[in-house]
This record gives sequence, C-alpha cells and structure tokens, in this order.
Amino acid sequence: MQVFAGYDPANNPLNTNEWAFPVCEVLHIVGFAMLIGTIAIVDLRMIGVGMRRQTSAELLRDTAPWTMLGLMLVLTTGPLIFSSGPTTYIGSGDFAHWNKSFLYKMAALALAIVYNWTIHNKVANSPNPGGLGVLVGAFSMLLWASIIFAGIFIAFV
Amino acid sequence: MDFQSFMDTLQNGAFGTSIRESTLAYPIILSTHLVGMGIFGGMIAMTDLRILGLAMTKYPMADVHNQLRPYKHLGLTLVVTCGLLLAWSKAGLYWPNPFFKLKLMLLLAVAIHALVFRRSVYKSLSDMDKFGSATSSAKVAAVLSLVLWVALVAAGRWIGYWEAPNPFEQQL
Repeated sequence: MQVFAGYDPANNPLNTNEWAFPVCEVLHIVGFAMLIGTIAIVDLRMIGVGMRRQTSAELLRDTAPWTMLGLMLVLTTGPLIFSSGPTTYIGSGDFAHWNKSFLYKMAALALAIVYNWTIHNKVANSPNPGGLGVLVGAFSMLLWASIIFAGIFIAFV
Repeated sequence: MDFQSFMDTLQNGAFGTSIRESTLAYPIILSTHLVGMGIFGGMIAMTDLRILGLAMTKYPMADVHNQLRPYKHLGLTLVVTCGLLLAWSKAGLYWPNPFFKLKLMLLLAVAIHALVFRRSVYKSLSDMDKFGSATSSAKVAAVLSLVLWVALVAAGRWIGYWEAPNPFEQQL
C-alpha cells in the first residue's frame, strides 16, 4: 500500500526493543479495562441490576473522564501495536486481504465509539431510561465484548 | 513423580489436549478471560480510585464498593476459571516459565491482600465515609491493589514472550 511504501517494520522500535511491544500490550489491556469497565458500570445501571442507589446519569457523569482516559490509552497503543507488523492485520492493504477479525474489530470499534458518545450517553442521561435503557445497555456490553473477542481472534483466523 | 511431569501429564491428558488443539475453544476461552478482565478490572480500578479520592467522589465509598461487589465476583470467577483452563492446556509448557511462576506468586499476593485488608478496610468503608475520608491503610490497600492487578496483567503477557533455554545452544 502506498502509505506504507518504504516502511520496514524491522526498524520499528517495537520490534528492535524487547520490552516495547509487551508494554504496549499491557497498556492496551489496562486501557480497555478502564474503557469497558467504566461503560459497564453505566450499562448495568441502565439494565437495572447494578449500582441502583445512583442514577445512570450520575454514574455516567462520574465515570466519563476515566472512560475517556481508557479510550485514549487504547487508541494510542492500538496503532502502535498495528505498526509493528501491518501485514499481519491488512495483508497487502486491499480490504479483500484484511484479516477478517481485524476488519470486524475496526468496524465494530468505530460503531461502538460513535454509539457510546451519542445514543448510549443520551439514553443514560435521560431521567428514566426504562426499557430503552435495558436495550441500549445490553447492546453496549455485547458490542464492546465482541471487540475484545475480535482482537483475540486476529491471531486465530 | 516430580512436579514437571505432573504438569506434563495435565497438559497432555485428553482434557488439556482438547482445549489446546481446538481451533475454537482456545481462542474463546482466551477472549472470555480478557472480557472478564475488562469488566472486572475496570470496576476494581474505580473502587480503588474512589478510595484514593480520585474517582466517583460524589458517592460514599461503601456505595461504590458494595454495589460493584457482585459484578467483581462474577468477573473474578470468569477470569480465574478461564485462566485455569488456559494454564491446564499448557501446564507442562508453562511450568518452567519464570513469568508463569511470577503470576502464581502475584495471585498469592492478591489472596493475602484480600485477607489482610478485608476486615480493616473493605468492611469498614462505611465508617470511613462517616469520618469523611479513607484511612491511610485504606489508601495503601487501594494502591497495592492497583499495582498488583497491573502486575498480574504484565506477568500474563510476559509468559508469552519468554523462550525456554535451548539445551543444544547451551552446549556450544
């Protein structure tokens, strides 16, 4: 692919330094725990089973900075991990050659980010999310969990 | 029978082999291990950060801790069950790995942490709420918990990067 012309992953510090790659992976895991764990707190409240002494709007307000910190961590470490061996993820670059699990992961991640900061947060902020909240919260948990599955399956498809 | 051959027997038994060689079971168990970490790790972090006065400060510490507890237990059960299955399927391979032993020691440290601080910190949060802030031992417990869990994740990753010494190379 044109953008990667002349790019040799062998010179990437992630491949020349023994520590760099696993450190990125650990930060990626810590980041998604922060991201998904804090969103799950809001989701479980909307579903009506967790932290019922607070409202979903209160929980959303107080977890939001940590959700954002988690997102920043995964969005920094993810592309670094990708850069260590782009061909593993996208082959020669054509969509047809992308690793299918990686393709799903990127599509689902884009959807999850948009969904979380639009529909999800709007419903969580409403005074009484009710039945819609159950749906929105359950879909959120499943979507984020599927992204973790897709990340693992990159190495198995 | 030494411990290594016991671990080899575990790994090469029908159960361990079926997990290891399954194209679906192994990645599904691994993914579930990480989903458990995602939900449970995030909730642990929020509880610890609440005790440290850095997150969710508008509600009492006991509220955060007690209400998240069932989900942290669920997450821990998920993570530990999947972790045991993964370790079972590669027991003989992992046993010589120093990072595997480090991970076991960190798990022991987590168990000790729970025993030491259960009564003095985690069951006394509502008293601390009345007093206004966490005691210094509660803050020590929270910092230790954060450090231990991140260290466990790191040890888990490093297991995959350790290469067993090659006996043929050593002879040269």
